Amino acid sequence: MVDSSMTETGTSAPRAGPAYAGWIGKITNSGLYSATVGLIANSTRARLILLLAVPLTWIVVLHVGPIYQMARISLLDNYPPAAEGPVYTLDNYRLFFQEPLYFLPFVRSLIFAAVVTVAALVVTYPVAYYVAKIIKPQNRTRALLLLLIPFWAGEIIRTFSVIMLLANRGAVNVLLREIGFIDRPIPLLYNYFSLGFGVIYLIALYMLLPLYSAIEKIPPQLIDAAADLGAGPFQRFRRVILPLSKDGIVSGCSLVYLTSIGVFAAPLLLGGPNSVIFPEIIASLFHGSSDKWPEGAAFSILMLVVSLSTVGLFMRVAGGRSVRLM
Amino acid sequence: MRHYFSDAPKTALQASYWVFVIYLLLPLTLMTAMSFKDANFIAFPIGDWTLGWYAKVVQDKQFLEASGYSIFIALMTTIFATIMGVWIALLISAEGIWGRAAIFALACLPAVVPGLINAISMRIFIRVLDIPTGTGAIILGHTVHAVPFVVIMVLTRLRSMPNNLIDAARDLGADSFIAFIRITIPFLAPALVGGMIFCVLTSIDDFVRTFFLGGYQPTLPMLIFAKVQGGMSPEINAMATLVLIVTAAVGLYAEHFTRRSRT
Repeated sequence: MVDSSMTETGTSAPRAGPAYAGWIGKITNSGLYSATVGLIANSTRARLILLLAVPLTWIVVLHVGPIYQMARISLLDNYPPAAEGPVYTLDNYRLFFQEPLYFLPFVRSLIFAAVVTVAALVVTYPVAYYVAKIIKPQNRTRALLLLLIPFWAGEIIRTFSVIMLLANRGAVNVLLREIGFIDRPIPLLYNYFSLGFGVIYLIALYMLLPLYSAIEKIPPQLIDAAADLGAGPFQRFRRVILPLSKDGIVSGCSLVYLTSIGVFAAPLLLGGPNSVIFPEIIASLFHGSSDKWPEGAAFSILMLVVSLSTVGLFMRVAGGRSVRLM
Repeated sequence: MRHYFSDAPKTALQASYWVFVIYLLLPLTLMTAMSFKDANFIAFPIGDWTLGWYAKVVQDKQFLEASGYSIFIALMTTIFATIMGVWIALLISAEGIWGRAAIFALACLPAVVPGLINAISMRIFIRVLDIPTGTGAIILGHTVHAVPFVVIMVLTRLRSMPNNLIDAARDLGADSFIAFIRITIPFLAPALVGGMIFCVLTSIDDFVRTFFLGGYQPTLPMLIFAKVQGGMSPEINAMATLVLIVTAAVGLYAEHFTRRSRT
């Protein structure tokens, strides 16, 4: 319907479009424009190709390409491949299952991410509910902003600030010693506690925001109706609020699980020798002096497949119809 | 009596909110407070206060260079990611596109892949293609990571755009390029600003991709990381506090802007 009007103006050469003032006019009136962009803009097929070609190339090369290359190298016996040509093998994957040094940290990582996810859910749910339902609407933005501020500090800065709190001469230990509760500092840093504390600190808002937007959508009349029908606070929560916020729970948990399984800086700064998790091991295969890229690639693929399929399975089982990751 | 009892859950929720706020703000507050400590080591209590660390930081050549480098990378990332993000979003929202869901899923892939895996796959990718590590590789890595978020923000905004706006422009004689420049881009402006600020902030904050893709020149997070590993000093606190204030100000502005344009 639009194209008919376009061909009409197109036949009366030179182009008799509307005259534009300013820089747009300068561009559209130039011969170069009608020879290039104008031509493309007036041809449906050229427009479609222009619209398709660049983004599709980008997605295929840069979104899929790296994962493909990682998968390919994970099957090589050596990287860079020997001169006679690449030899494909499954040894790198076999190594993972045979060597507890790799296998155990992987399991530890999965458990760690699951614990962090559940902890973040439990910690942020009441907060999200409070902001979404109890605070007066005019104060809601301010209450949310207060929670968003730390989010804008980077990963490293937030991790570093956790050290201030938990170090041997950090705030917690000094406070406890001042009030005479302890004689010598409790080792709060460089173990699972500090790692969990720090990772939840990093990712809590990925849980909070989906929860908030799901809870906010629950019509208050439903909660009132349940109360009128005699449901107590706990029953209202379990029978009305919780099922209706399921979408938020599912997407929040997925997001937090995927993020916390891939945290890298926090374990380096907050973890100790006893809390080595899988990301550190993968990284060491790439950064060490020995070149173990095929092993590293295989482990990365395993981690990717397991984490994505865990989340996929979780979404399927928990069954949010309209689950979106963002 | 009954009245008090029914208020108990509300009070508990309110308490949980404030406890959470304290949990979020306390570490950063302590970090900031420590940057004013007049001593060479980090420990409580603070004792004497000074601004000396800030004076030292703003004259620190390493810090200034890393800041400039980080900002440069963030700006490049923002330009490329915004162009690509809008382009992909337009493709996905185009009429009669086959396999829309698949394209959308692949466009979002870098956002759902865990950060470390994302960085490693990109490291492998550039080695296969013989691209050296360094500035270009960092910008590429950051851009690929940022594109999905731009796509999602732009798509959300595009969905609320009335179809007849473009038709009207075309009926008035604009070709599709002009219609894009004069109608689509201004309509997308809030999403674009939001997306661009998001790109800047994620790029400046990024550690894991820069760690794998970077060369010898450190970005801000790399510099702070190296200093934290090398030993604590209130100088790091001053540095981190400066970065925190700037990024929080940018973030607050973004929040303000998108909120205002939404109403």
